[in-house]
Amino acid sequence: MLEVRGLTRRFGGLVAVNDLSFELNEGEIVGLIGPNGSGKTTTFSMLSGALRPSAGSITFNGERIDGLKANRVCHKGLARTFQVVQPFPDITACENVMIGAFANTGSGRAAEKVAREKLAQVGLSPKADTLAKELTLLQLKRLEIAKALATDPKLLLLDEVAAGLTPTEVDVVLDLVNQLHAEGITFIIVEHVMRFVMNLSHRCIVIDFGSLIAEGTPEEVLNNPAVHAAYLGEEASIA
Amino acid sequence: MDLNFSGAVISQAIASGIMLGGLFALISIGLTLIWGVMKIINFAQGEFLMVGLYLAYFLVAWGHIDPYITILVTVPFMFFFGIGIFRVTISPILKDPVMNQIMLTLGVSLILQNLALVIFSADVMSVRTRYSTWNFDIGPVVISVPQLIALFGSVICTVAVWYYLKTTDSGRAIRASAQNPTAATLMGIDVPRTYLLAFGLGSATLGLAGSLMIPFYYTSPTVGLFLGLIMFIVVVLGGMGNLMGCFVGGLVIGLAETVGAAVFPGSLARVFTFAIFIIFLLFRPQGILSRRQT
Amino acid sequence: MNARMPYIGILVVGALMCLLPLVLSTYYLHIAILVLIWAFLACAWNILGGYAGQHSLGNGLYMGIGAYTVAYLTNRFDLTPWLGLLVAIVLSAAAAAFIGWIVFRYALKGAYFALVTIALAEAAVYVVSNIPALGGAGGIQLEYRGNSLAYMQFAGKNGYFFMGVIMLVFILLLTQWYRGKRFFYQLIAVRENEDAAEALGVDTVKAKIKANVMSGVLCAVGGVFYVQYFLYVGPRSVFGEIVSVQILIYAIVGGLGTTWGPVVGAVLLVPLSEIARAQLGNSFQGAHLLLYGAVMVLTMLFMPFGIVGAFQRLRQRWQHRSATPLVDSQGGEAS
Repeated sequence: MLEVRGLTRRFGGLVAVNDLSFELNEGEIVGLIGPNGSGKTTTFSMLSGALRPSAGSITFNGERIDGLKANRVCHKGLARTFQVVQPFPDITACENVMIGAFANTGSGRAAEKVAREKLAQVGLSPKADTLAKELTLLQLKRLEIAKALATDPKLLLLDEVAAGLTPTEVDVVLDLVNQLHAEGITFIIVEHVMRFVMNLSHRCIVIDFGSLIAEGTPEEVLNNPAVHAAYLGEEASIA
Repeated sequence: MDLNFSGAVISQAIASGIMLGGLFALISIGLTLIWGVMKIINFAQGEFLMVGLYLAYFLVAWGHIDPYITILVTVPFMFFFGIGIFRVTISPILKDPVMNQIMLTLGVSLILQNLALVIFSADVMSVRTRYSTWNFDIGPVVISVPQLIALFGSVICTVAVWYYLKTTDSGRAIRASAQNPTAATLMGIDVPRTYLLAFGLGSATLGLAGSLMIPFYYTSPTVGLFLGLIMFIVVVLGGMGNLMGCFVGGLVIGLAETVGAAVFPGSLARVFTFAIFIIFLLFRPQGILSRRQT
Repeated sequence: MNARMPYIGILVVGALMCLLPLVLSTYYLHIAILVLIWAFLACAWNILGGYAGQHSLGNGLYMGIGAYTVAYLTNRFDLTPWLGLLVAIVLSAAAAAFIGWIVFRYALKGAYFALVTIALAEAAVYVVSNIPALGGAGGIQLEYRGNSLAYMQFAGKNGYFFMGVIMLVFILLLTQWYRGKRFFYQLIAVRENEDAAEALGVDTVKAKIKANVMSGVLCAVGGVFYVQYFLYVGPRSVFGEIVSVQILIYAIVGGLGTTWGPVVGAVLLVPLSEIARAQLGNSFQGAHLLLYGAVMVLTMLFMPFGIVGAFQRLRQRWQHRSATPLVDSQGGEAS
């Protein structure tokens, strides 16, 4: 489904992502992990079109998408959530999600229907008509997912969706992702909360300083000495 | 199009342009400081200059004080004037979206402009001082002495402000607050007070400008309209917060104005200046010298 | 039925307004016409400024294009202003599309965007002042033709008044209709959070350009009405910064991003300023602008969402559950 070859991104002299290559098959949940600053979010930004790669290629369902703007990538079926939630503050949750729904329809009524569906899916129906700026963090995270869902993605990139949540709240999101996966969405998850990654991922990709250092099942990767070395001195929360 | 490319005309245009440029730089120092430091976009900055000019005018015309002595009054006055306006109108909405600040300062500019109109009438006022007609020749070029003094004043002011920001404690506090208000607060800097100081400083430079300008310029309620826009053009060209860039930007625009006037007919020359501005906004909004100074 | 309410409300207000000529004297009818013109222009600005969040300070540019196009074509070619109107629409659309494409492609935002619009409008003043065919600095005077529908002129105020009402009702209906449509939602998304909007598939550049075109064309139409009513257009009277700023004051004080906000703003401020100008005009020139400045400052300090915006927020707080989707006003800027 997704093929990344030689993906590189430089910011002046700093190489944030270095010749990264990996593949993703439909229906997988892949965890993208690594210490802070290893280039995970930058990778996501390049996949979703928010950033242009300095080099390399990204092929999604047979089409090259590297260099496309974010809104075009979204229309191809690749959506992302943001590490720091990015709601539209002064409109209701329903309207927030409608914006995403409008990616696939021009009708206000249809968009609202889709929006309410997605809100129900993430469990936000009671708050559908509340202004986004009045929602709690967990609700905003759910909203973030609902917005992305409304664009009807085949591949969803979740950027540290569990960050800042209590363990119970993490469970809620965990269940949600499983549920969505069962409905046929492929995921790439960037996470620090290990429990989240371990429970969900079929496969993990570990990067450090922008380069791939390990790949495999969660257990393999956790026991990989190179991975330990990368995290040395840093405590990944084994929540 | 009537092109007059004689050497004399061009040399005069360049000389005048440099002096005009120095003036433009002088009036823009305040804005580059305020915008660069506090990210406040003060659309009333032109009207502040107007206030400085009016003050200088009355001190000279009624008080018969030498214009350069009026500096002792105009600078402190504008300092506190700026602080007053800031306290009452701007600081309550510092955390609001930028557009609110722009609208607010637009409102302030309207108030100041029209207060001047109401109080002083629309008349253009200028005063002759013994410096006003003092000029000398360098070859075919005529140099007006008060303008030259203003140019020197501009250079001195730029260097002085730069030195102040670089070496004094309060100056460094201003720079720290500009770069990272949170970190600055954590390091014990009173950030709100620093903003106040920076705004006052930026306003004070306009008092200096008013005094330096009054021997050869005029004042009127609308003087801030065009000069205010020039300030923004210069600051964008020079880069916000960049004092050296401000000076260079001023020179560029000053030259654009005079050379443009020599080449293009009528008020079309001004379009040349705006064209430069628009081009910079589109392609190089960080300014000519993109390394930040303050 | 509920969805129809806003439309009915607009039509009812429009109908009621039509009764005004029966009760108002000529002088007050003149003020009412001014209110209609400015309300219309403020509504036009609201599309780009309120809904899309791009505060243009140079909408006078398009107003001027409209006014000058019609004035020139009428005087030079004896062309009926109705056709001139069509030309004005095409020209302003082209200008707005071109300017929008350049400006938004280079992602000018916030203050930089405001500055560029000011620069363009001011440049227009100087350019037009130097074109003799357009009357230079003196502007263009239209010949008075009495009651002549062909030339869009009326002998008394009533004709203009009804035209103004029709225009205002039209733009209100248009705005209301678009509020439920994808286009306006996308504009709001751009206003609230551009990056998030892009990530959700909104082509933000295209949306902004479209908003600029819509806003510009409507401003041009307002400009056409302006020149037909005043029978005169000059560089400063349309392109100047004062004009553009006035338009947005009405929109902001009334309530950004709301349907009725600009109307409320105009209804409140225009008569006030006219009265100020009439009573104090001789002794206090500029009193009305002083008033505007003060109102602007006070609004930003105490009521940044405008009158309608504040009202909507109050109503929202009274209902525990924020019932009606509110698509109004400023959200915080992302950076």
